[in-house]
Amino acid sequence: MIHYLSYSVPYEKEDGDVKHDWRMAVGEHGPGVLEDLYARKEFLLKASKLAAAGAIAGPLLANVERAFAAVEVASTGGDPVATAAVNAAKQYSGITLTTIRETGPQAADDKLFGGPLWEKLTGIKVNTVEGSDAEILQKQIAAHIAHTGDFDVNEALGAWIPDFADRGVIVPTDDYLTKYKGSASLKDIHPVYRSFATYKGKTWGFSDDGDAWALYYRKDIFGDPKLRKAYKAKFKRDLRPPTNWDEMTETSQFITDQLAPKVYGQGMGRALGNPGNYFYFFQTFRSLGGRFFDPKTMKAQINNATGLKAMEYILAELKASPPGSAKFDFLTMWTTWLQGKTAMIYTWPPTGRISENYAQRDKAFSFLPKSKIVGKVGYAPIPTGHGWVNGVVRCVSADSKNIDAAYLFCQWNTSPSVSLQRVMLPYSLRDPYRLSHYKSKKYGSLWPGASKYLKALCQAANDGVIELVMSGAPDYGTSLDRAMTAMYAGKDVQSTLDATAKEWDVITKKLGVDKQRASYLNYLKLTGSTSSNTAAAKGIGFKC
Amino acid sequence: MAETLAYGRKRRPVRAVSSFVDRHFKWLLVAPAVFLVLALSVFPLVFSAWVNFVEFDFSVSSSHPWVGFANFTDNFADPDWRHSIWITAILACSVVAVEFVIGLLLALAMLREFPGRRILMVIIVIPLFISPVVTGGFWDLFLRQPIGPANEIASWFLPGTVTTNFTDDGYWPYLSVIMADAWQWTPFMFVILLAGLSSISSELYEAAEIDGAKPRQSFFFVTLPLLAPIMLVAITFRFVDATKLFDIIYTLTRGGPGTETYTTSYYLYYQGFERFHIGQSTAGSWMFLIALSFIAYWLIRRLLKPVEA
Amino acid sequence: MRRRTRGASGAVPGRFHHSVARWVFLAGYFLFLLVPLYWAIVTAFKPQDDLLAQPPVWFPAHPTLSHFDQALNRLNGLAALENSIIVAFATTVLAVLVGTAAAYSMARHATGGKHLAFWFLSGRMLPPVAVVIPMFLLYSQYSKEWIGLRPIDTRWGLIVLYTVFALPWTVWMMYSYFRQMPPELEHAALVDGCTRWQALWKIAVPLAAPGLVSAAAFAFIFSWTEFLFALVLTTKNAVTLPVVLAGYIGLFQGNLWGETAAMTLISLIPALLLGIFLQRHLVRGLTVGAVQG
Repeated sequence: MIHYLSYSVPYEKEDGDVKHDWRMAVGEHGPGVLEDLYARKEFLLKASKLAAAGAIAGPLLANVERAFAAVEVASTGGDPVATAAVNAAKQYSGITLTTIRETGPQAADDKLFGGPLWEKLTGIKVNTVEGSDAEILQKQIAAHIAHTGDFDVNEALGAWIPDFADRGVIVPTDDYLTKYKGSASLKDIHPVYRSFATYKGKTWGFSDDGDAWALYYRKDIFGDPKLRKAYKAKFKRDLRPPTNWDEMTETSQFITDQLAPKVYGQGMGRALGNPGNYFYFFQTFRSLGGRFFDPKTMKAQINNATGLKAMEYILAELKASPPGSAKFDFLTMWTTWLQGKTAMIYTWPPTGRISENYAQRDKAFSFLPKSKIVGKVGYAPIPTGHGWVNGVVRCVSADSKNIDAAYLFCQWNTSPSVSLQRVMLPYSLRDPYRLSHYKSKKYGSLWPGASKYLKALCQAANDGVIELVMSGAPDYGTSLDRAMTAMYAGKDVQSTLDATAKEWDVITKKLGVDKQRASYLNYLKLTGSTSSNTAAAKGIGFKC
Repeated sequence: MAETLAYGRKRRPVRAVSSFVDRHFKWLLVAPAVFLVLALSVFPLVFSAWVNFVEFDFSVSSSHPWVGFANFTDNFADPDWRHSIWITAILACSVVAVEFVIGLLLALAMLREFPGRRILMVIIVIPLFISPVVTGGFWDLFLRQPIGPANEIASWFLPGTVTTNFTDDGYWPYLSVIMADAWQWTPFMFVILLAGLSSISSELYEAAEIDGAKPRQSFFFVTLPLLAPIMLVAITFRFVDATKLFDIIYTLTRGGPGTETYTTSYYLYYQGFERFHIGQSTAGSWMFLIALSFIAYWLIRRLLKPVEA
Repeated sequence: MRRRTRGASGAVPGRFHHSVARWVFLAGYFLFLLVPLYWAIVTAFKPQDDLLAQPPVWFPAHPTLSHFDQALNRLNGLAALENSIIVAFATTVLAVLVGTAAAYSMARHATGGKHLAFWFLSGRMLPPVAVVIPMFLLYSQYSKEWIGLRPIDTRWGLIVLYTVFALPWTVWMMYSYFRQMPPELEHAALVDGCTRWQALWKIAVPLAAPGLVSAAAFAFIFSWTEFLFALVLTTKNAVTLPVVLAGYIGLFQGNLWGETAAMTLISLIPALLLGIFLQRHLVRGLTVGAVQG
């Protein structure tokens, strides 16, 4: 304990034992050398003592404590899905389940919250393996090829499900859903996220993340009278969040011209391998009506006129961004945003939470600085409304030695009540994806603009276009990712896109043209695969 | 005599073992090493021979039907493969050249005793103890816009503000890799060359000076010829290692921008372990290995010649 | 009057030795060497805000140890450190023992003629990437089927593999060392009734101690810094430092620069200690191999 107290917490300027003490008490202790010093009982006791004593710490501490309590209530009768899972899992008490999550806050979700709670409720231990994004995919495939049974609960981006399902990495969960009464859990998941876990007519796990892109903009900059006057004079329309890509590039460039180098119009994460790079192209390309393949020949279409236009928009955005943007990873992107140096970014939902300093309170989120723009952030749809949507699925490994227990953990962890608590955790990188999340009053009260934020996310899901969910998706994606970094560095756009299209054709041929066609046609049936079959277009969106 | 017999009887078992050991001594000594190398170096290669000719690809299927030479042709059809071979050759030659020149100059500069020499020697050797992955990592930190100080430092020396993107602009990705690799491995060259220089007897120089040779002439006619075998050793070892360039690429550029800095090792790793096109990657590794073997064979023969003599 | 110094400092005439150019060059090289290293080290102590500050912060106003805490306790750093140390030491011992035995045999008894020595040395030319995929398959699947052991993600699996790849170093170094060591003492011992085994371990090896230390130093460096095999053959139990460090880089939310720097610093310490003590032997080891070659 002294060990912790002697470190200066980098972003807490206040001194005093209470501050350090409750910070540690709020469950930042993870697996580590000194974990034994802090048994759960002691923690809860201390937490409640401090809750009584510390006024400053009050709200946050009470929140997390309440989160733990709420989950326990839900799992013992409050939420039928969670309760059924817990009751059925008690017979497996004593075993260990291994999950795999991305290093950092994602892993903290299992290590600090889900894992300890599950162990308390069922006696099953949870061990979490961490790695970078690339490593996670790699490790799961490698474990499957070698049949090591390393992982019980797999983590799959929506794009990986077809390959995971076809290659037998994961098991279908329809039978388990019936057996353990989990079907009710699927009912209030937004249709666009549900589709990620569905493949070839079967269910392959539980959707667990609401990754829909929205546009986050600086209300203060957009509301600045001088700027508004100049903008109106130039463009004959009001300065407002852009509604199409022309407006986006014009507005970004305008702000950069006016305010650089203090503020730039936008600054996105564009580094190679950053998960976001080819997403930008996929999003823009499809919002303009683009289609990835010609279903008859399965020839890639990304190098047609729409593709060229999409790339030109992206390069124009890059021009309006801070120098070095082509190498921004998400850390740098979010840091420049939080320090107020960019006026707009469009990206994943955690942006809303970190802008309000909600996430940075927790040590697990210590990689980001404090926000200088609290209260100044507005939420809007992506230009054209058709923003990027991807999903994450918690699925069950086929090589697991405890398939039932692994399944039950997933059912419990993603159940409406437990998932609600998880998406509200300060350090969570999981975002709202259920109707109950979007309508949650608790969530809506986390910061003044939270309910507007939820509404924006809900709308984003309604109109969004999903990632490429077909066999070989990672191959197509990384091929384009590499090409984009080359174009950022100045390579000619048309020839690079042509070369990439050729690479795509080689991939298609290698995987089997007919097989890919079937996979692609399957994909086209999913909600949100094009800008004309989004959830809203199909009439199945939520009323936000 | 009875004593000796009794003595002999007691001793027989032990002598049998130790005489066995003695007779087959030299073979027993090399046996563990040979066995290990066969089991974990040769055998895996031989084992992977069959992978070359079958379909072994996660995205395609779970079975492994025979596909003949398809894996090999897949590699040649991929422009990234061809590019990576070119890049590997260029980078290997460049880093060896750079490290050799700097290493030689450094060895010359550090040759004579001076106060503080020992401390500097320790400092010079430090990079050898750092994993190349880590080196790539903190060079990335150093060079990365906008958080690294590289631009700021450059701005101190050059007019105006420097805003180069060291891992993206023009030829800078290659130069960054060369810089990081030179940082890592110049000490290696330095140590070998220093040893070589130290072993040249000073009498030769005195004799040359007596004969009226100027310092520059004695460098070219005394130092260089005598240093030549050592230089060859240093260059050979370093070149062979440089062709395997992987670690620094992994953390400094990740092969980017695009596929600009894909060395052959990185390309094969990427194909085999990030995309799981195992058949294709194995075929590529075999080709790479065979090509390297030819080069290495030629170089080592030249190295071993003096030993045989 | 010219000072007589050891070795061929005649290669470096006094005029050059004391010239400005030499000092400028040395200064330049040490700056090149130390500045990125300094930056890496100081990053370990910077609070998060300073990490991405512009203009870059050369010396943090409020240094912090939180990155060390995070890296060691929450991001697997301590386990990786432990694994690296164990693997490196075990590999060193094994590689030196096995390598010395083989080298002695080849040096004293010309076992296998020139071909065996060449064969061992050629192991250095083998690119790890050629072996990594079959090793992965063997370690994870086939070894279980054939010999009932599964070395994947184990320390001993890594140790054995590293030994094989360290052997070219140790064999070659000891081979060169033994060749330049006069065999008279061993012959005398043999005449006196020693077995060859005793002659090796009681006479030759102690005499070759400096060479052993050099060989050990190289074996240690190799296994301490090896990356590709560790990356592919370990998942959670046997991860080593380089793998864990590389794992901090390339994350979705951005590289964990502070933690990376902290672990770099930590991994430097044993390496530095060894460097200070073994620097002489390193030089000698490379020398012997070089001069003999």
